[in-house]
Amino acid sequence: MRRCFVLAAAGLAALALPAPSMAESIMEGHAHGCPAGTAAALPPELASWADRQPLKAAGAAGKADAAALEIGKAVDAALLPTPDVKYAIRPEKPGGSVSFGGLFAFTVAEAGTFRVALGSGAWIDLVKDGVVIDSVAHGHGPECSDVRKMVDFPLAPGRYILQIAANGQAQLPLLVTRLP
Amino acid sequence: MRRLSIGLTALTALALGTAAARPAQWLWNLPEGVEPPPAPADNPMNAAKVELGRRLFYDADLSVDGTMSCATCHEQKRAFADGNRTRPGVHGDPGRRNVPGLANVGYLSPLTWADPRLSTLEVQVAVPIFGETPVEMGMKGKEQELLRRLSRDKCYIRMFRNAFPERRGTIDMPAVSKALAAFQRTLLSHASLYDRYRRGEESAFPAAARRGEALFGAHCASCHSGGNFTDQQFHAIEGKGTSSDMGLAEITGLPEDHGRFRTPSLRNVALTGPYLHDGSAASLPEAIARHAFMVPLAGTLTPAQRDDLLAFLDTLTDREFVENPKFAYPETACGKPL
Repeated sequence: MRRCFVLAAAGLAALALPAPSMAESIMEGHAHGCPAGTAAALPPELASWADRQPLKAAGAAGKADAAALEIGKAVDAALLPTPDVKYAIRPEKPGGSVSFGGLFAFTVAEAGTFRVALGSGAWIDLVKDGVVIDSVAHGHGPECSDVRKMVDFPLAPGRYILQIAANGQAQLPLLVTRLP
Repeated sequence: MRRLSIGLTALTALALGTAAARPAQWLWNLPEGVEPPPAPADNPMNAAKVELGRRLFYDADLSVDGTMSCATCHEQKRAFADGNRTRPGVHGDPGRRNVPGLANVGYLSPLTWADPRLSTLEVQVAVPIFGETPVEMGMKGKEQELLRRLSRDKCYIRMFRNAFPERRGTIDMPAVSKALAAFQRTLLSHASLYDRYRRGEESAFPAAARRGEALFGAHCASCHSGGNFTDQQFHAIEGKGTSSDMGLAEITGLPEDHGRFRTPSLRNVALTGPYLHDGSAASLPEAIARHAFMVPLAGTLTPAQRDDLLAFLDTLTDREFVENPKFAYPETACGKPL
């Protein structure tokens, strides 16, 4: 059994820290070693995490509308082998040929702070009109949950492309949700 | 005369042929008076090898699931340190020790926090790729898989041939290690404000940094010595036996080595936090205060002294180093976008 590393409070503290650019890799503090059967009580904005629907990633930005995410609805994303993905902007950490990635689209109707939650430490970029959006906070998920990484972005209304890169598995739990 | 002419022509052709097969020498482009880092006799520098090593450094196919490259932990914007206390490996195994920056790493030996056996960059390459204590890139037992990934890439085949013509471009771990080491030897930082000050540009050096330099010289420089601010020796800055990490004793088995760690370089130290062997000091003031066992002043610094010391340490930041595109993820390989 692996050891729990960081308290949930530490994770919240990490989220309070500004992220200088794009989506930092959050590699510390994942919930290891929680007692078997212990399930985290997820906050309302992550409530759909337990009820994910399948969604296949797009291999290019021009096809991302076919991989549309709904705000607040978690998905089990089916990613593509990295060599089959043509990113809108090259990710800072694009992953090797044996990794997985893909693109998704979503639309923001009303300005606010939005959180991208992942079930892995994959690299993410959020792109609008060819420009990468800077994140404002990052951290890991609630203790004893399988939310491994969360990155927050202040978003204006519009259409966004979410790039997923350097994932070790073809499947990835994924959620874009609006914060209260 | 004719025979001579033919002979000269043949010699010229031979010379040209040899020159074409030999990789271009590496040009260091160092400030006056600065020596290049030493390279082992069996791994001389050349431009093609550096180019190959740079691509390998950023290639996540060196990890078991393609998620982690050398650059995953060694980020240029952080002077090739990491920004986390420790970095878990590809399987989520907790990291043990803080990721060091790589500025001027070619001058350093030994290379890591507590293993004096890791004295060359060529040897050290195996630790993150194949190591198990902890697992980092997770390739233990998968060397052939790693080589298979590289060998199926036509561009890599060409790059290995260019870098290692004497070995006919054989793609194996010794070649991978040598190329990675060659690239890392080019990670040179000699353009900080402090470097320019030492070369005579005194006017740009802040007064606070001068006061901090005096404090540093009197209280810190016996260990953080030399041009890279490390004596390359192992010390227990908080006292022997106070660390849960055995440190040097893990290798030597000697009780007196418990908790001893190699003095880290301070090049770009303002960018390489968190600090100490386990990343447990979140800030430079905290890291300085943790030296109080060895350096009593570290625990009693006045705010003004602390600010002066921090001003000095800030002059060790080399923006050219962290922004140099020659150290960044290559845009292309073999003329094609990566």
